Amino acid sequence: MNPLPVHPRTPVFDIVIEQEDLDAVAEVLRSGWLTMGPRTEAIEAEFAAHIGVRHCVATSSCTTALHLACIAAGVGPGDEVIVPSLTFVATANAVRYCGGQPIFADLIGSHDLGIDPDHIESLITPKTKAIIPVHYAGYAVPIEAIVELCERYGLALIEDAAHAPDAYVEGAGGAPRMLGSFGASGCFSFFPNKVLAVGEGGCLVTDDDQIAATARLLRSQGMTATSIDKQRGEAFAYDVVGLGFNYRFDDPRAALLMTRFRRLHGEIERRRELVHRYRSAFADFDAIDIPYSDEQVDRSSCYLMGVRVDPAIRRDFRARLIERHGVQTTIYPATHRLSAYVEAFGEVSLPQTEAVCASLASIPLFPHLSDSEQDRVIAAVKQTVEGLS
Amino acid sequence: MNPPEAAVAPQWRVMLTDWQIGEDDIEAVMETLRSGWLTMGPRTQELEARFAEISGATHAIAVSSASAALHLLCRAAGVGPGDEVIVPAISFVADAHAPRHCGGTTVLADIDSPTRPLLGVAEVEPLISERTKAVIAVHMFGYSGAADAAYELAEFCAERGVTLLEDCAQASGARYPDGRWVGSLGLAGCFSFFSKTALGVGEGGIITTDDADFAAAVRSLRSHAMSSVTWDRHRGHAETYDVGELGYNYRLDEPRATLALSRLGRLDASLADLKRIARAYRELLADLDGVELTFSAAEIEHGGHFAFPVLVADGATRDRVREQMRLAGVQSTAYPALNLLTEYLDPDAAPRAADFAARHIALPIYADLSTSDQQIVVAALADALGGQSGG
Ligand SMILES: Cc1ncc(COP(=O)(O)O)c(C=O)c1O
Ligand SMILES: Cc1ncc(COP(=O)(O)O)c(C=O)c1O
Repeated sequence: MNPLPVHPRTPVFDIVIEQEDLDAVAEVLRSGWLTMGPRTEAIEAEFAAHIGVRHCVATSSCTTALHLACIAAGVGPGDEVIVPSLTFVATANAVRYCGGQPIFADLIGSHDLGIDPDHIESLITPKTKAIIPVHYAGYAVPIEAIVELCERYGLALIEDAAHAPDAYVEGAGGAPRMLGSFGASGCFSFFPNKVLAVGEGGCLVTDDDQIAATARLLRSQGMTATSIDKQRGEAFAYDVVGLGFNYRFDDPRAALLMTRFRRLHGEIERRRELVHRYRSAFADFDAIDIPYSDEQVDRSSCYLMGVRVDPAIRRDFRARLIERHGVQTTIYPATHRLSAYVEAFGEVSLPQTEAVCASLASIPLFPHLSDSEQDRVIAAVKQTVEGLS
Repeated sequence: MNPPEAAVAPQWRVMLTDWQIGEDDIEAVMETLRSGWLTMGPRTQELEARFAEISGATHAIAVSSASAALHLLCRAAGVGPGDEVIVPAISFVADAHAPRHCGGTTVLADIDSPTRPLLGVAEVEPLISERTKAVIAVHMFGYSGAADAAYELAEFCAERGVTLLEDCAQASGARYPDGRWVGSLGLAGCFSFFSKTALGVGEGGIITTDDADFAAAVRSLRSHAMSSVTWDRHRGHAETYDVGELGYNYRLDEPRATLALSRLGRLDASLADLKRIARAYRELLADLDGVELTFSAAEIEHGGHFAFPVLVADGATRDRVREQMRLAGVQSTAYPALNLLTEYLDPDAAPRAADFAARHIALPIYADLSTSDQQIVVAALADALGGQSGG
């Protein structure tokens, strides 16, 4: 799929690049050092500190970070890994890259789209190796319950935090604990429509020295030395001690990530404000249902603003919004219903996920969405739903 | 905010490569960033169209790296469990990894000779089995090979029903003696935009092919095989996309595509500089005792020139010479023979490759290498060898 720039009046995501971003990238390009070097190291250190873990390994994408996380968790042929279906296909693909089989667990319900710990537990078998919960839309899954399951059954926990930079849960004593810090690995995406966007990119965070070492080694072909080591005169020859990849990030993207990262928290605050505005606008509007609670919003990264409508009208709802009001929406297909998954693993029934995937659509949400533009979206959504009901 | 520059560029007087990024390149990237459209958009399309035009290929597909490209080439060529792929032992480890990422087996071949570290029919033929699916020819250091060797290899593969793939990661702009670009002899070729090349952008690569089905397969696999297809329409939710098979995130993004596109405009000029510098090396080193040149004067003329490899007497000399050059501030590199790496250990598999690996020094070469810097390199080499520079 090659999505080309479309210019709806109100896109579902939008990003603003500031002058400081441009200056940072220009500076790296002028320096001539483009592959992973000091800028990548700097953002890795800063992001790890932000999440509250010891290591951050920047990668070419979140997909590749998930792959490295699965390898580090020891996923291999014959292993099962429990994943949600309401996610992007990369979550389950990462398991398949290792020869493992993704097992889909249902979500909690229409009020909370996180993976259901009870259903997870019912799917655990002797072949289960790991669980990859997805903090969908930036809202925490019941992470403590899942951590507890992993400990009880000896499973690896990999958090797909692609949607969830700067999201947290209240830990012991009420102190915030960042999503991505609970698992053996947490994986983030810097894809253009994400809350922390630079283009293609991602990272794996971990507190585990061994996992970090494996991820670093395999990110760069399994080579024992990198270009920056050679440049610094620290390495003369290298060995290759694993089946690695080129999953590297680079310094121009790292520079952009750094300047954008420093604005992230303010942007997330604005996202939360916008979500609260949406929620109160639709609170008394019966034809639209909104998942999650107000308290959850305050801890979320608020990546997506999902609204649920009657499945019978969703297609027309989306078509009319874009055609008559220039309001773009997106939807997620359920992973277990994709051809590649039906062909490989057969039909699976996940009633909650199927109901949600048939009714959910994301409406515009980005930090520089103005109140007045948002009001226009709200009016358009209400009018469209009313016209179809 | 940024760590000190010294963290990257230490004491080198002459670096292996030091490609400059022009203000026009930078402005182009700034414009893309300002547009706010950061992946899979008009710049990537333009890069692909332009690269296809310049290389003479019907299709070009931009990807996240040449390693990703090699993986996709093997996938799209149908490499799977039980299949063997022949890869030269003097290449880069990504060539050996790629077949294995598809579940296949890598079979390492020796090279033609230490002075021509490329694959020929003589090396490939004994390794062909009924399980051989493909051969990856690698244009090391940017050389397309001796006049007939590459054509012979292509003919041989065609006769045996084996797919020929070309790794041109080090060979952007290199041609065959008949003037066609490398990458055009096999089913597909791939190029790298990693930073030590004329087209360096950071990380990136591109695949070329004349085969429409192959191009479509690669294009699909590059982005998780996502498509809105009939299957979904059939099921009544055509408003979304389907995923038809196991794909990857091997996309290039728009800022990098912009930089590659901008640099592509200077490729011919860079190649002219590289050839001039390579010719000068041959002259400066011709009479230097203890140095053996690789490849031929004719091969320089259609090569891409990624680094300038020369041979010295033996491995011990090489290590000593490289160390002395390093102390003199001259950076060099050397490639290991893949069959001597822990991951691919098979010490007797490729004696000529092992000989080349032990004895070669790859000297700095890039378009802006000045005459005086080149003389510093040659003098450092001569000093280390304890002889006199021939220039
Ligand atoms: C939940 C989730 N996981 C993983 C990914 C993959 O991220 P990337 O595009 O950086 O490979 C995405 C991106 O769309 C995602 O939404
Ligand atoms: C011959 C060869 N092939 C493939 C590659 C891999 O290229 P990339 O770094 O773009 O993945 C390289 C990189 O050094 C190379 O030299």
